[in-house]
Amino acid sequence: MTGDGSPTGTEAGSPVDRRRYVSDYFRLERWEVPPDDAERPSSFGGRSPLDDHTRGAGGGLRTGGLLTNLDTLGGFTSGLAVLPQWIVTTSLMATVSELDHVGPLRYRADVLRRGRTSVVTALDVVDEGAGDRHVAAATMTCAVLDPGAMDLEFTRPVALPMPPPPTTARRPEEFFCIQPGHGPVTRLVLDDRLRNPWGILHGGAVAMLADEAACRAALAHSTGVAGPNGVAAADAVLHYLRPVKVGPVEARCRVLGSRAGRTNVRVEIHDVGSDDRIVTVGSVTVLAV
Amino acid sequence: MTFNEYPPPEHILGDLGMEAELTTETTARVRTRVTPFVTSADGGVRSGVLATLVDIVGGAIAARVLRPDWMATADLALQLIGPVQGPWVEARGSVARRGRTTLVLEALVVCVEEDGTDTVVDGRTADPVAWASMTFSVLPAQNPASSIQMATELPARWAFDGGNLDRPILEALPVHVLDAAAGRLSVEVRPYLYNSFRAVQGGVIALLAEASGAEALAAAHGLDATGFVVTDLQIAYLALGRVGPVVTSARVLGSGPDGRAGAVVELRDQGADDRLMTVANVSGVPAALLAGASA
Repeated sequence: MTGDGSPTGTEAGSPVDRRRYVSDYFRLERWEVPPDDAERPSSFGGRSPLDDHTRGAGGGLRTGGLLTNLDTLGGFTSGLAVLPQWIVTTSLMATVSELDHVGPLRYRADVLRRGRTSVVTALDVVDEGAGDRHVAAATMTCAVLDPGAMDLEFTRPVALPMPPPPTTARRPEEFFCIQPGHGPVTRLVLDDRLRNPWGILHGGAVAMLADEAACRAALAHSTGVAGPNGVAAADAVLHYLRPVKVGPVEARCRVLGSRAGRTNVRVEIHDVGSDDRIVTVGSVTVLAV
Repeated sequence: MTFNEYPPPEHILGDLGMEAELTTETTARVRTRVTPFVTSADGGVRSGVLATLVDIVGGAIAARVLRPDWMATADLALQLIGPVQGPWVEARGSVARRGRTTLVLEALVVCVEEDGTDTVVDGRTADPVAWASMTFSVLPAQNPASSIQMATELPARWAFDGGNLDRPILEALPVHVLDAAAGRLSVEVRPYLYNSFRAVQGGVIALLAEASGAEALAAAHGLDATGFVVTDLQIAYLALGRVGPVVTSARVLGSGPDGRAGAVVELRDQGADDRLMTVANVSGVPAALLAGASA
C-alpha cells in the first residue's frame, strides 16, 4: 500500500495522516454532493481560506496550491466514483483566469465520464470573497487501480471540515521541501510526510514543484519576463507518467518562448533516485505580475 | 499508411494538404502550408488547425507504437507561444510514455521553410510556436490481422491528397453560428469530417471548440470572433460524435488582468440524445493586445 507499508508518515517524530496531510496544509474543506440519480456518481464541493503564507506574487493562492487542491478534490471525487476500486491521477489541465484572490476559494468537482479504466472530472474554482469571481477551470483524468489493502471505508455522504490554521506559517516551498535556488533546474527533497496513501509523492507536491521551477526558469531566462511584483504561474498542463518513489525529485525546465507578458515553460520532472526516470512532463504558463 | 480507405477522397485532412513522416518508431512529424484560410486575427495559424496537426502526428505515432491495437484520443492540450506564420508549420511528436491502457505523447510545433528546414530568425533557429500534449486510450485489436498496413522501412512518408482548401476552414466544415454570445455553433456530421471510426475527427472537434470559445469570448469583449485569438486549448474527449448535428455551447469565465479571458466549451451530439462529447477549456486574448508583441 505504501512505500514503507504504513498509512502514516512522520513529522518531527509525530505521525501524520497521509490521506490528509497535504490537503490540510491548504486547509481544504470537502463535502460530498450526492446525485439526484443514484446511477450517477457524487459531485464534491470544497472550500479553502487564503492564508497569507500561501499567497504568491499574483496576490492570491499560488497556482501550485490551487493545483494541489484540485488534485485532492478531483482525486477524491474520482475515487468515490469507482469504489471499491480507487484511482491515481494521470493528467491535470488547468486554466487560471485570476491570480489575485480575496478568499475563501470555493471548489466544485463533477465526474464527466466514468469508464472501466479511467475517470474524467471537471473542476471549477470561484473566489467567494470577490462575489464568486471565476478563478480557474480544470479537467483531470485518473486511472482506475486495484487499491490493494488501502482503507476505503467512508461515512457517506463524506464531509471533512476545514482544518484549523497552522501553528507555524511555513511557505509552500518550505512545506514541500523545495530547495532554494535559481535557474532552469529546481530540486525537491522527498520527505516521507509528502507521500500519499499509495506511498508515492503527492501529486500536489509535483504541481508545486512545477510552479516554482517554471517561475525560476522564466526569471533566469530573461529579466524582461517579470512585472513589478515578479512572475507567477498560471495555466498548467501536467501529465503524471510514473509515480515518484525514491527522490530527490528534479524539475528541468526549458523556456519555449514569451509573448505579451506570458512565458511558456516546458517542465520535465525526474525521480533522480529511480534511475533518473521521467515521472511528469508538462507545460506551465508564467505571467508577469 | 492506410486504414480502411481512410480518409475518404473529399476530406478536411486532404484539403489541408498535410504531409506526414514517421521518422523513427516513436517520433513523427506532420506539416501543412500556411494559407489565409487557416489563420486567425493575428495572422497566425488558428489553434484549432494546429491541434489538428498535433492530433494527426500523435495518431501516426500511436498507430505505430500500439499496433496491432488501435487508439482513441482521450485528451489534447495546446499552448500557442507565438504567431505561426509559415510558410509551413510542422508538428513534431514523440512518445512520453507508453502504458498498458494509455499512451502519452508530446509535440512541439515549429515553422519550417519550403525545403523543410527550420525557420531561422536573427541567425538562430526560431523558437517553437506551440507546445502540445495528448493522451490516447489504447483500444485492444478486434482483429489484429486486418487492422492496418504499416510501412516496414523508416522513415516512412505519405501525404493526404488535396491541398485544395479554397475558403476559410470554418466555412469548409461548414460551421453555422446559432448564437455567438453563447458560443452556440452547429455542424453536420459527414464524411468530410470523419475519423477512422466514422465519427467527427479529433482535430475538427478542437476547431469547433476554438471557434465556439472565440465567438463567446469576442462577444463578451464587444468584438466579433475575428478580433479574438484563442491561444490555449485543453480538451477532454468523452464520447464520439457519430450522428449530429454537433452543437457547441460556451460559458465565459471572466477576464484576467492581462486582458486574457477563458471559457468552458461543451460539444454535444444532438442526434444522439444530446450526448456530451467533449469538454474544452479555451482561453485567449483580443487580437489588438497581441499586436506588436513579439514571440
